[in-house]
Amino acid sequence: MAGTASPQSKPRHAALARFLAGASAASAVEITALNRLRGGALQENWGLDARFSGGTLDGDQRLVLRSSAATGIAASLTRHQEFAVQKAAFAAGVTVPEPLFASDEPALFGRPFFIMRRAPGIALPDRITSDLALDPALPMIAERLGGELARIHAIRPPRSDLAFLAPCADTGPIRQIAGFRAYLDRHPRPRPVLEWGIRWLETHIPPTDAPVLCHHDFRTGNYLVDGAAVTAILDWEFAGWGDPHEDIGWFCCKSWRFARLDREAGGIADRAPFYRGYERESGGVIDRRRVRFWEVLASVRWAMIALEQTDRHMIGGERDLDLSLTGRRANECELEILMLLDRKGSHSDA
Amino acid sequence: MRDLPGGPALLALARDVLTTELLPLLPEERQPDALLVAKCMAIAEREAELGETPEHELRILYGAGTDTDELLRRFARELRIGAFENSPDHDVCARAILWQLTLAKLRQSSPEFLAANGFDQPGGAIGRAKPCLSPVSRKRSTPLPKVKSSL
Repeated sequence: MAGTASPQSKPRHAALARFLAGASAASAVEITALNRLRGGALQENWGLDARFSGGTLDGDQRLVLRSSAATGIAASLTRHQEFAVQKAAFAAGVTVPEPLFASDEPALFGRPFFIMRRAPGIALPDRITSDLALDPALPMIAERLGGELARIHAIRPPRSDLAFLAPCADTGPIRQIAGFRAYLDRHPRPRPVLEWGIRWLETHIPPTDAPVLCHHDFRTGNYLVDGAAVTAILDWEFAGWGDPHEDIGWFCCKSWRFARLDREAGGIADRAPFYRGYERESGGVIDRRRVRFWEVLASVRWAMIALEQTDRHMIGGERDLDLSLTGRRANECELEILMLLDRKGSHSDA
Repeated sequence: MRDLPGGPALLALARDVLTTELLPLLPEERQPDALLVAKCMAIAEREAELGETPEHELRILYGAGTDTDELLRRFARELRIGAFENSPDHDVCARAILWQLTLAKLRQSSPEFLAANGFDQPGGAIGRAKPCLSPVSRKRSTPLPKVKSSL
């Protein structure tokens, strides 16, 4: 039965090859490799090598097939929607693998998917933030990433091709705060620091900027670096309309600094080159106070995600050591919330 | 009375055997899993040694006779509604407890993260929360010193 066949099965390969041939107007396509790539807890990425005879992709091609994982989470876009967002970003000049074809046909891969070109490079955050050979290039990479983010933010509503994205009011801080509290009400253990941080957010909501396309997971680990070059911005599944400072706060949030907590721009550089790249590309000025608000929110949001991951083990019954430990990362977010909001600190026994 | 070596010491020994003797024998792709196992053992070891998160200050805040979970729940509820914000003294007191709780948990789950953030002196840098009263219960408390809020 096609719906249950492994992605590696011959019928699945044959069906996929026929789909690629039809979509690219090739006379034939031979799939020469199809292997699961590393990473992607919520989506699966498959390296797909194929030989096209004729058509728009004539010759040997290195592609990526991105499919939904067996279990998704409500906040993420469908693969068709993610495909549309990635197309919009590609058209806007963002460094993103060119999206090629999408399909919801279950007989092809068992789950919805889209195909894009494969970019070279590494995404491993611990390596990017600790590899001494990369060190000299990192400020330049941070500046480039600032420019990339500004190009993403240049995409603004209304957009008929992105009409499926939720309006800003559905994703803004008020709605997020309500979601955080609803989650904490369901959580078996009280989290006083998160409650305190959320209360601060509630009483310090800044005025919102005109909405822009936010990536909503723009961080180290979600871009590819090849030598000194940024070769791809990845993982668009959480994209939506929002305040541009939200992405900046998320990128700079301590949870995404990995091996270099001291480098506030994604663990790769000071904020200055990242901000410079953004401001030069956008022509605007980053409001540092708004970034601080979104950075606190980022720490709260990451704490929630960490707790939810452990819920998958504790409540969902997934037997996974990594998931079982992730919830404790919430403690790190709570320390960061205190450090951001109580710099003098009551811990110093004044 | 339990036999010796006790649980934490056994865990420490087992973790050492795992990381120094068994880990190199594993195929490379399974070594990250072994490191996760070692991490779990280290957390279990520290939790067995250090016990529950501190509740002393919460008991001063709310009085004795309630279990820790309920104290934390109440503290969380009051923080949500901003109950400590009307008085700088209460605010400082609440913050002190938040620091205390957070540092104590991180000492168990991730002391290396504490160290990376400059909190690397176990038993030294963490101050005791000042005794105070719940702004909701209005129980009597020890007067607080004036400390200016940083916000």
